Amino acid sequence: MVAPRARAFDAVHAAVPATLFAGVVALAMLAVQPALTAVLLAGALLFSLLARGAAATARGLAWQLPLLALVCLLNPLFSASGSTLLFKLGPRSVYLESLAYGATMGGLMVAVVLWLEGAAAVLTQDRLLALVPRRARALPLVAGMVAQLVPQLLRRSRGVRASLASCTAAGPRPGARDALTRTSSLLLSWSLEESLERADSMRARGWESGRPRTAYRPERLRPRDVAALAGIAALLIVTATCAWAVCAQWRFYPRMSGFGPWWACVPCALLALLPAAAELAARLRERGRR
Amino acid sequence: MSALAFDRVTFAYAGTEKPVLLDVSLEVPEGAFALLAGATGSGKSTLLRLAKPEVAPVGELSGTVRAHGEDVRSLDAAASARAVGYVFQSPDAQMVCDTVWHEMAFGLENLGVPEPEMRRRVAETCNFLGIEPWFRMRVSELSGGQRQTLAFASALAMRPRLLLLDEPTSMLDPIAEKNFLSLLFRANRELGMTVVVATHAPGPMLDYATCAYALEGGRAREVALEELRPATLDSLTGITHRQDGSCPTDGKTRHSDEKDVHPALSLDDVWFRYDRDADWVLRGCDLAVGAGEVRALLGANGCGKSTLLQVVAGVLGPRRGRARNACAGDQALLPQDPRAVLACETVRDELTEWSASSGRYGAAEIDAALERLALADCPGRHPYDLSGGQQQLLALEKLLLVRPRLLLLDEPTKGLDRAARAAVAERVRAAASGGATVLLATHDMAFVNAVAGSVSLMFDGGITATEPTDEFLRGSWLYRA
Repeated sequence: MVAPRARAFDAVHAAVPATLFAGVVALAMLAVQPALTAVLLAGALLFSLLARGAAATARGLAWQLPLLALVCLLNPLFSASGSTLLFKLGPRSVYLESLAYGATMGGLMVAVVLWLEGAAAVLTQDRLLALVPRRARALPLVAGMVAQLVPQLLRRSRGVRASLASCTAAGPRPGARDALTRTSSLLLSWSLEESLERADSMRARGWESGRPRTAYRPERLRPRDVAALAGIAALLIVTATCAWAVCAQWRFYPRMSGFGPWWACVPCALLALLPAAAELAARLRERGRR
Repeated sequence: MSALAFDRVTFAYAGTEKPVLLDVSLEVPEGAFALLAGATGSGKSTLLRLAKPEVAPVGELSGTVRAHGEDVRSLDAAASARAVGYVFQSPDAQMVCDTVWHEMAFGLENLGVPEPEMRRRVAETCNFLGIEPWFRMRVSELSGGQRQTLAFASALAMRPRLLLLDEPTSMLDPIAEKNFLSLLFRANRELGMTVVVATHAPGPMLDYATCAYALEGGRAREVALEELRPATLDSLTGITHRQDGSCPTDGKTRHSDEKDVHPALSLDDVWFRYDRDADWVLRGCDLAVGAGEVRALLGANGCGKSTLLQVVAGVLGPRRGRARNACAGDQALLPQDPRAVLACETVRDELTEWSASSGRYGAAEIDAALERLALADCPGRHPYDLSGGQQQLLALEKLLLVRPRLLLLDEPTKGLDRAARAAVAERVRAAASGGATVLLATHDMAFVNAVAGSVSLMFDGGITATEPTDEFLRGSWLYRA
């Protein structure tokens, strides 16, 4: 089965999803409050299911949920705070508040990971790098080279080790350390040699010609992108203000209290559901036009 | 006015006294498709690079090089980039950016071309070369042929009037080579761009070329295109091919069909894929190679030849089916890129590396190998200072010194000139004469004709046909030496 491809943010400038996901991730990291974390986690899960597919999400959850459980269960062992005693584990007292704090922190970690995975599905590396300011145009080049060379190095390393392993007539294989030294020095020489030709290839195309470099931007910032950015920025500001108010009132210890007005969570819920809603709307629109 | 003119050019590399180019004078007319032919090490690349000062080698140059009447040394980097485009040999090494669109725009960005103009040039180049379907792809997802086309496109987008290409197709398979040459030909004829291609294998380009120059002994002379028609490898090696389909290896090579009772190696209904979600590379593959046989594997690029060799070598395990290899403990594999087996600082160290661990050879054999490689005078050279052909021969010599009973070769003549191909053929034949079983994957039909006793054609993840070489060549309308 082909995994679904995120499409909601295909037709907008990369700055729009970049702002949205940066804001959501920042909020998910800073808003340590059970209701807000639950909302952000639910939004992340929903978007992941839509944009990355059930299989990819399930593969991720296979390690994320145990992580959540681990953080939830370990916290009471390190922080014996709270007032509602659940049970005693040897000399340690396990309190409901401590367990809830662990669950919130675990949920926060999973939510952040899910949002980052969702962002990666929407924002490919080249889209993200195209956002780098004009003055730092060498950065995308360096990042692009690293993105290209690291997999190449790993691929070659596998090839080199496979070549050595298949030359059984050469006698016993060298020990792990010798093999590592051999492979790394071989790869280093190989890469250095290629870098000479790469440098020539750059110079042959006017690199360091002394002229100010311009930039080919594969995406254009249109008025509707600016409008979307303004809307997202406004929503982020409202959400951040409300979240700050909610978090300021909330107390885990000694007793969970200070939930605050329910409507203060509404902007956060809107923000958390926005990517999934946009994705869903894009799909319905496409289906309607088919 | 000529597009490119060398006027009494003599050049010696820094630190050497012997010039690599001697009083070279030649003129390439505007709009020409010129070939610069010569063996590896004849100075083709040096000559070409002298027309592009940014990549010119360091050394002593006398005489003048002019591009469209202007001394190239008087051009600044931007003017040179606009006037003269350059495409290098390696499809991998010359890629700078990680996406196709960025690679295409790289040169234009360097020249400070305004964005609207840049967009237009990139779009026109994409349309001309048919790149649009993979415009948004990552460079790592492209095939070698596509990468070389991209390098060409990146140079073309800068709209140079003169394009220099250094062995642009030597790392490509025959089909990718033909595709690339047809694009080059179109740029030459339809855009009026002067093209100069340095090559050691001018054969496939002769139909496109309008003039040719041969470089020999540091001197250049204009030659008729027909003079460059390649001879068959048989005449190249000076060895007469037998008509009975067997390889002339003292009668030790024989053809083994699928019914062979005791093959040296066999694959029985082997299925393989690299990833659980990936497509099958080998699907129900059956193969049997008899002891002492030299078997060539033919097939299109990406049909699974290299994978099959690795499955035979035991590096990859079949997902289904069974791979048997009677020589599993006494084999050697030469990968496509010889640099994957060259791990030492000097040529001698390279040949010595497996001496102690294998216990099969000593100083005398190493000296003999150095003699065969014509490197006895400079055993201290770094392997990377050798030409591609010499590197390949060095890697092959290194493997042959351990006298493997099974020799697996992956594209052993890729990118090599005639002399190096002949030398590789000679060494493979010598190994087969010594009783080794050889399984080689190649596109080089002349090489197959010279060394292989039988041929297996790979298609759709399996072996479609296995026949003695002569019989196979007689019955094929596609594969001819």
